[in-house]
Amino acid sequence: MTGSSSPRTGGVLDLRDDALASCVACGLCLPHCPTYRVTGDERRSPRGRIALMRAVDEGATAPDAEWLEAMDTCILCRGCETACPSAVPFGELMSDTRAAVTRTRQVPLRLRVGLAVLVRPRLLRGLSRILALLQRLHLLPGRLPLPGRLPMRDPRQKGRVGGEVVLFTGCVMDAWQPEVHAAVEEVLEACGATVSRSGDAAGCCGALHAHAGLEGAARSLAERVMAAIPEQVPVLVDSAGCGATLRGYGSLVGTPEAAAFSARVQDVHEWLAADIDRMPAATVGKRSTVIVQDPCHLRHAQGCHGSVRTVLAPYADTVELDDEGLCCGAGGAFSVLQPELASEVRLRKTASIRRAMATTGAEAVVSANPGCAIHLAAAGHVVRHPLEVVAERIRGKQGGAHGR
Amino acid sequence: MRGIEDFRDEVGPTGPVCVRGGGTRWELGGTPAHGSREVRAPAGVVAFDPAEMTVVVGAGTPLGELVEVLAGHGQEVALEGPAGATVGGVLAVGRSSLRRLRVGAVRDALLQADCVGADGSLFKAGGPTVKNVTGYDLCRLLVGSLGTLGLIGQVILRTWPSPERTLWMQGSGTPEAVRNLCYRPSSVLWDGRRVSVCLEGYGEDVEAEAAALGSHLGLEVVATAPTLPPHRSRWTGRLAEGSLLEVGTGVVHGPVEEPAPEPGPGVAALAARIRSGFDPGGRLNPGRDPYRIAA
Amino acid sequence: MWWTRRRSTDPLTRDLEAAIGADSVEGGASARLLYSRDGSIIRGGKAGVVCLPGSTEQVAACVRIARAHGRAFVPRGAGTGLTGGAVPCDDPVVIATTRMDRILEVDVDRRIAWVEPGVVNLDLTSHLAGTGLHFAPDPSSQQACSIGGNVANNSGGPHCLLYGVTSVHVTAVEVVLPDGEVVVLGEEEGDAVGYDLRGAFVGGEGTLGIATRIAVRLTPDPPEVRTLLLDFTTIEEAAETVSAVIAAGIVPAALELMDQQVVQAVEPFADAGYPLDAAAVLIVELDGLPAGAAREAESVAAVARECGARTVRIAEDEEERARIWKGRKGAFGAIANIKPSYYLHDTVIPRTRLAEVVTGVNAIAERHGLIVMNVFHAGDGNLHPLLVFDHREPGVMDHVFAAGEEIVRLSLEVGGVLSGEHGIGLEKRRFMPLLFSPEDLAAQRALRDAFDPDGVANPHKVLPSGASCGDVQDLPEIPEGVWV
Repeated sequence: MTGSSSPRTGGVLDLRDDALASCVACGLCLPHCPTYRVTGDERRSPRGRIALMRAVDEGATAPDAEWLEAMDTCILCRGCETACPSAVPFGELMSDTRAAVTRTRQVPLRLRVGLAVLVRPRLLRGLSRILALLQRLHLLPGRLPLPGRLPMRDPRQKGRVGGEVVLFTGCVMDAWQPEVHAAVEEVLEACGATVSRSGDAAGCCGALHAHAGLEGAARSLAERVMAAIPEQVPVLVDSAGCGATLRGYGSLVGTPEAAAFSARVQDVHEWLAADIDRMPAATVGKRSTVIVQDPCHLRHAQGCHGSVRTVLAPYADTVELDDEGLCCGAGGAFSVLQPELASEVRLRKTASIRRAMATTGAEAVVSANPGCAIHLAAAGHVVRHPLEVVAERIRGKQGGAHGR
Repeated sequence: MRGIEDFRDEVGPTGPVCVRGGGTRWELGGTPAHGSREVRAPAGVVAFDPAEMTVVVGAGTPLGELVEVLAGHGQEVALEGPAGATVGGVLAVGRSSLRRLRVGAVRDALLQADCVGADGSLFKAGGPTVKNVTGYDLCRLLVGSLGTLGLIGQVILRTWPSPERTLWMQGSGTPEAVRNLCYRPSSVLWDGRRVSVCLEGYGEDVEAEAAALGSHLGLEVVATAPTLPPHRSRWTGRLAEGSLLEVGTGVVHGPVEEPAPEPGPGVAALAARIRSGFDPGGRLNPGRDPYRIAA
Repeated sequence: MWWTRRRSTDPLTRDLEAAIGADSVEGGASARLLYSRDGSIIRGGKAGVVCLPGSTEQVAACVRIARAHGRAFVPRGAGTGLTGGAVPCDDPVVIATTRMDRILEVDVDRRIAWVEPGVVNLDLTSHLAGTGLHFAPDPSSQQACSIGGNVANNSGGPHCLLYGVTSVHVTAVEVVLPDGEVVVLGEEEGDAVGYDLRGAFVGGEGTLGIATRIAVRLTPDPPEVRTLLLDFTTIEEAAETVSAVIAAGIVPAALELMDQQVVQAVEPFADAGYPLDAAAVLIVELDGLPAGAAREAESVAAVARECGARTVRIAEDEEERARIWKGRKGAFGAIANIKPSYYLHDTVIPRTRLAEVVTGVNAIAERHGLIVMNVFHAGDGNLHPLLVFDHREPGVMDHVFAAGEEIVRLSLEVGGVLSGEHGIGLEKRRFMPLLFSPEDLAAQRALRDAFDPDGVANPHKVLPSGASCGDVQDLPEIPEGVWV
């Protein structure tokens, strides 16, 4: 269970009492919820979901298929938390609800298989290479949630040990977007930092397991990650989803050590922005204009999306989207599990991106989360990691874009 | 002074009645049917609290008298009518001021109306405060109803501070050009070639906008508002010779009388249900019909 | 769509599904539970089947089918209302307009926009960015509430002091009448021909039909805005300042009061620099052309000092202004962190009597052992006394309801009315006879009956009736808190 030790309801879902009671049903969250925005349906809203949790917890309603659908369709973007005047910990409530649900309901097979692959780096890389080959042979359907060009070679680079900072490399990103890690490392080193990589020993952060309600699995992955990174140095993350998860280890594992580990975790942009003067001047390339897409796990979960702009400012002009940070619909495994809803949600984001492109002439989108990048690239956008844009201006060579 | 109860007793519970104000627009929407008894609402300003910006006034009060009382305290109401018109008459006709863009529609000025209903009893619509959503908005329904739903005896109106300065300007130009140069003019009139603009507010602001209209469009200050052609109709997108469009209000002042637009069947049926609901026997201002007014 | 379903066996649901599609008709337990509530504290409502139509024709079909099955219908927008206006009684068909959220047309030259009812209030203003125009009604829920709901409730907000409530800004409205007929009421510009049916419809709380397209007037952005923060050592001085400002012939764009408890609650997160030891602060906003705004700001400052203001601060820049407003707009969220429950009232009193009524409200709360916090639209006398409590304390609810009723009665005694912007809904219909005589209510009934002769549109709301609303009590068992 996550959250503090305040009393729990003791009901069917056994949620934290104060968390559940703090929702006053005002509805201010509604427009900030991506699934409510596209369905107009209270059951797809934070307010509705909390009321439904309460009803089941109290035993007033059965957790039937309709109820489960309401819970399964939450992207866990936590946009509602940012909008909530009463600071309802929605993410905690939803995670606890899903954990309670998985105690009685099997996680779908395809998700279980996927999650099993993620925690086995060598298997993941092997399968990825097969996918990459199929991709080169044009044997994969175009709209699969995959990067535009999967790497063929083993992307691993031997990590240094004893660096001043540790770069958390994770699972999918390491296998599919190694160029992002390389760019990030390059930027960090250009700032004078020595960088270690967390590598296979740490492996997957467990975000998707936690999303799916597999609390036990998430917790043991957390233990593995923490054991693999014993150094008392900043743990920097270039994937917003992993960053939010690592920062949540304190409450997930519930030990002082985990809390101390979480406190060392920083989004890489946040770390760079804290001492922006050490970043080198742009020496090559032209100043471009990029559209900033805020990953929910940066904006709502970590609240450090401003740093992306700070870090980009010396190297590129940034354009804001006009959708107030509404989720793009990627949501970890959400785009795989709820493809139609994820596409509907993405339509709003792509419309906003198009408006920004039309008014500013910007062509590329930057996103600090691999899930968002892949999801948006699948809709035809050119999406890059912010630090790829930075790296290019300090080295002058083309980084890989995920778009087509 | 005659009060609202006296008015109620005068109206009584039976027989066709028509309420007469200043009689300045007596034929508008049809003349009262033969045999209707003429009644008059009480006159006089009952209470005026400048700090509240509301005034209680008998519906039979000549508008000029009310305007004078308010002007003594630097305030005004959104009502406007021909010389001799009464407060109740202006409300019953429901035509807004030429300065509507500043003072608002006449329908937005009425806070409370004490009326005599078709059964001869008093009923109250609205309330005394400047903001109120208690129950249905009968006040807006009464404005422009030509006394067919209830006979307005006494009202509470919202007042506004009078402008420090009023200035009319005239010259060649388009409403669009005026709008680009002025924030919120009180009135913009257009005959297809020439434009008349009423600027109101604090002296310095009015002068600054007047200077802009003068230098950019060549508009010149004139002493009064332009004389309006006698008939009103709704703007349909084209402006006949000799007509003046009130920009932003949908009203055209023209030399020729235009027929009133036909309401659609659904609206007509709804309006008929409303009228018969308030006045089942058809005794309130029979012969008059707000749907026979062109604008 | 993405979820599959079985065909319904209920004839009403089947007909609705045939008319508007199975994806738009929801009859499950979860849907009915959620659509039995709105933003109010009222519980016990009971939704029948829930419809999410996408067009005028679909709304009309829902209405006709409901009638054909002998069922009433309840229109619903975003469900942020505070008086139970969208709480269904006795199994009606709930017709939510949230999927009708298109901005259909914006005519910048004529300053008119046509929107569907599900468009979120703030979205329209955001959409207008760059045109120099905005939609003036700004209820505090504007980021979530829909324009259809604004029309139903004739919503207000801080800036309607100068610019007027929703009715002033709605010029025409397409309505599905309770018999399923579609009519357009009002004109895009100017006064109505015939009866002002548009004016009658706005504020009808869903009992007169369902708005399906709305023409709104767009307001030019003011060239100059001055925002003042005034602070006082007594709440009476603040209230007197409100009256004195109006008496000086100034109608500010907004004039808001917050008392000490509110200031102390919001300052930590707003960082607005509100003086924590002040008994009350006023936020006064003046806008318009530069000279007028400047002169009015000076006059307000002078009036305030005469009334005893301790300090007068004028926001230097847009950021400072934003911080001052952030505290006001976030007030209720901050209060939720003090006590778990609160109950918000909404009455209007003559603005010359603010001081005595606020004192009276505080005395009522004290007598009942409750905390009362005041944060309200002082400029138009629109009180929002907020009773803050912990519903788990035994017997506290009796005091909350008793104090609430006393506040309503006090407001009426000084010549006030029951509601300034939240409406009557279910919450206040029992108080209607305190303000209106049987004849007054009969006139309102005549209007309602003309629109809805058979009483099928949102029954039990607004007007008092002998009938109760299903399981809904006049007041709820456990208030969970509301906001303004």
